[in-house]
Amino acid sequence: MASRAANVVLSRANRMRQTLQSALEASVLEIEDVSYQHAGHAGVKGDANETHFNVKIVSSKFEGQNLVKRHRVVYDLLADELKSGLHALSIVAKTPKEIGS
Amino acid sequence: MAASAQISRLHPIISPPLASRKPLISFSRFSPSFRCLSSPLSLSRPKTLTKPSYRNRVRASIRKLSESESIPIAKVPEDLDASIPAAAGVYGVFDANGELQFVGISRNIASSVDKHRKTVPADLCFSVKVGPADTATATATATADRTVLQSAWKSWVEEHISATGKPPSGNLQGNYTWTGAPPDLRLTPGRHVSLTVPLEDLIDRLVKEHKVVAFIKGSRRAPQCGFSQKVVGLLESHGVDFVCVDVLDEEHNFGLREKLKSYSNWPTFPQVFAGGELVGGCDIISDLAEKGELKAILQK
Repeated sequence: MASRAANVVLSRANRMRQTLQSALEASVLEIEDVSYQHAGHAGVKGDANETHFNVKIVSSKFEGQNLVKRHRVVYDLLADELKSGLHALSIVAKTPKEIGS
Repeated sequence: MAASAQISRLHPIISPPLASRKPLISFSRFSPSFRCLSSPLSLSRPKTLTKPSYRNRVRASIRKLSESESIPIAKVPEDLDASIPAAAGVYGVFDANGELQFVGISRNIASSVDKHRKTVPADLCFSVKVGPADTATATATATADRTVLQSAWKSWVEEHISATGKPPSGNLQGNYTWTGAPPDLRLTPGRHVSLTVPLEDLIDRLVKEHKVVAFIKGSRRAPQCGFSQKVVGLLESHGVDFVCVDVLDEEHNFGLREKLKSYSNWPTFPQVFAGGELVGGCDIISDLAEKGELKAILQK
């Protein structure tokens, strides 16, 4: 387990990966930083640095949950990130059945 | 479907001579209303108007849709004044194939038709039939009674439904071709007015008063974020009847951005509400659109 000091050095993407992976036991977890696509648009204060991410998660824990519920689960897990500059998430949340694996 | 049932589901649209976009917190959208008029109808009725005989005289003088002659809509402004009366009444606009696209009522038919001519594609806005309200019998203080015009509108639409089985497409809910989209809603008149109720209550009222609300970054016409723009585009292309609220508007919606995140327990924008409940953000709306479920979820 990485120490607290190491966490500060880790990028946001890596912190997100740790959190989501341990909580959701995802079979597929893709995290992509697309902040550069949103640089300069309204509401992004200062640099567009680690502000917008695409997240794709496949986890059996999403079974029986509607889309709003799944997104809320992800948002709750990433609450700290959202308070510290994470601005927007594009979430694809599927169960293993839904992607046919 | 019975004509009367079809009519009750329409969004009766009044073509205002001048579109003044006043900020409104809520407005009735289920009955014909003159909300956008520049010179509002006086609401106190002169005594003469309540006499049934007057109303019958005026109603009888608005001719039927099928009995009106078709007037082509000129491409050049100069020709317009001669043939189309600048009077109050009901009118129907036909496309190049002679099909009725839209029935509207107006205080000034010529001016409304001119506005359509400028904003609606020419092949949809080809000719017009007019039913001016006969005000020759009105007294000096009375103008065409609002209810008279509304019932004339209803009878023209019913006439069309009996003839074709459905209302004109331009009159359907969610079709903004003829009237333009509804103005963005504002929670408060401005920062200079202090709130008497908590912001959460205002939000709660707003999402319950309107069938579909989209909280977006930027305005409906000029969204300031790609996700908000995508949501607006999807809702409009699916013909959803919805209103927008600009969460970046610090003057009229101060504090909304943070408050809404806790109200909906959702940390990002845009947020789309239907029937008072959160449907989701851009991802969910896109997903529903792809599956073909969007309109069903939003307009049930």
